[in-house]
Amino acid sequence: MQPTSSMKEEFLKKWQMGLQIYRPLIDNTSVSERRKAIKLSADVAMASLRKGTTCWSRALIQKTATEDNFLVRQMLSGIKAETLINKKLPKVMCHRKIVRRSKMILRRRQSRSAIEEVAAKARKLVKKKTQGLRNVVPGGEFMSNDVLLIQETLDYIVSLQTQVNVMRSIVDAAEAGSERTAYYLGKLKFAIEDG
Amino acid sequence: MSNRRSRQSSSAPRISDDQIIDLVTKLREILPEIGQRRRSDKVSASKVLQETCNYIRNLNREVDNLSERLAQLLESVDEDSPQAAVIRSLLM
Repeated sequence: MQPTSSMKEEFLKKWQMGLQIYRPLIDNTSVSERRKAIKLSADVAMASLRKGTTCWSRALIQKTATEDNFLVRQMLSGIKAETLINKKLPKVMCHRKIVRRSKMILRRRQSRSAIEEVAAKARKLVKKKTQGLRNVVPGGEFMSNDVLLIQETLDYIVSLQTQVNVMRSIVDAAEAGSERTAYYLGKLKFAIEDG
Repeated sequence: MSNRRSRQSSSAPRISDDQIIDLVTKLREILPEIGQRRRSDKVSASKVLQETCNYIRNLNREVDNLSERLAQLLESVDEDSPQAAVIRSLLM
């Protein structure tokens, strides 16, 4: 599973569209405002690749909308912006403290063999790590199902790789400027077509 | 409902474990360092998940750096220079 050239091209187009929306502001703002605009456009571009079909992309769009509602609406005007922004995310499935407390009570009542102890420790470690994953994947806190969580993670990573790949090519080309532009532009097109 | 779930956890169906193993294998393949090792090398699920978290954090950090570089570049470049024209054609 790798970023395809069509994914990269689509990301680039959407990102450019987002930057165009900011164009009037770009000349008159601080570096940090500009950085934020660049990053938000890139995030919406990345999320919109999935057209609302994954949980992480919906969560990311909603999160970005809280920071810049106008940008999100403009960038998504073709893809049911309203429904994506206002779509209700599922409520947290079970209150973690209650589950923890009842598990502790259960544990005290059971007596276990050594093998069961090891298996239980391994399961606990995996649970802890999946919790870490929930913290870094957008919308992770709503994914109580581990299978769903890992599926979403896989898709999120491929999308992030696409985002980084294209942004890196563009920024390298932009920094190179006029002297070696031809070379870098060629390399960029080559990289995008090569997939 | 949550009480019922915790009581059943010790007799949970095995099917979902296989699904998870399969997905963790897929995760391992796309991770930069672990993915390079031979398939026969054993890597624990816990380690794969940990590396995944780290990898995602690194990717996000790189996006932030790239955004910063670009913002700085737009700040420093002279409006009329050929470089500015290049940037405009790349970005807009």
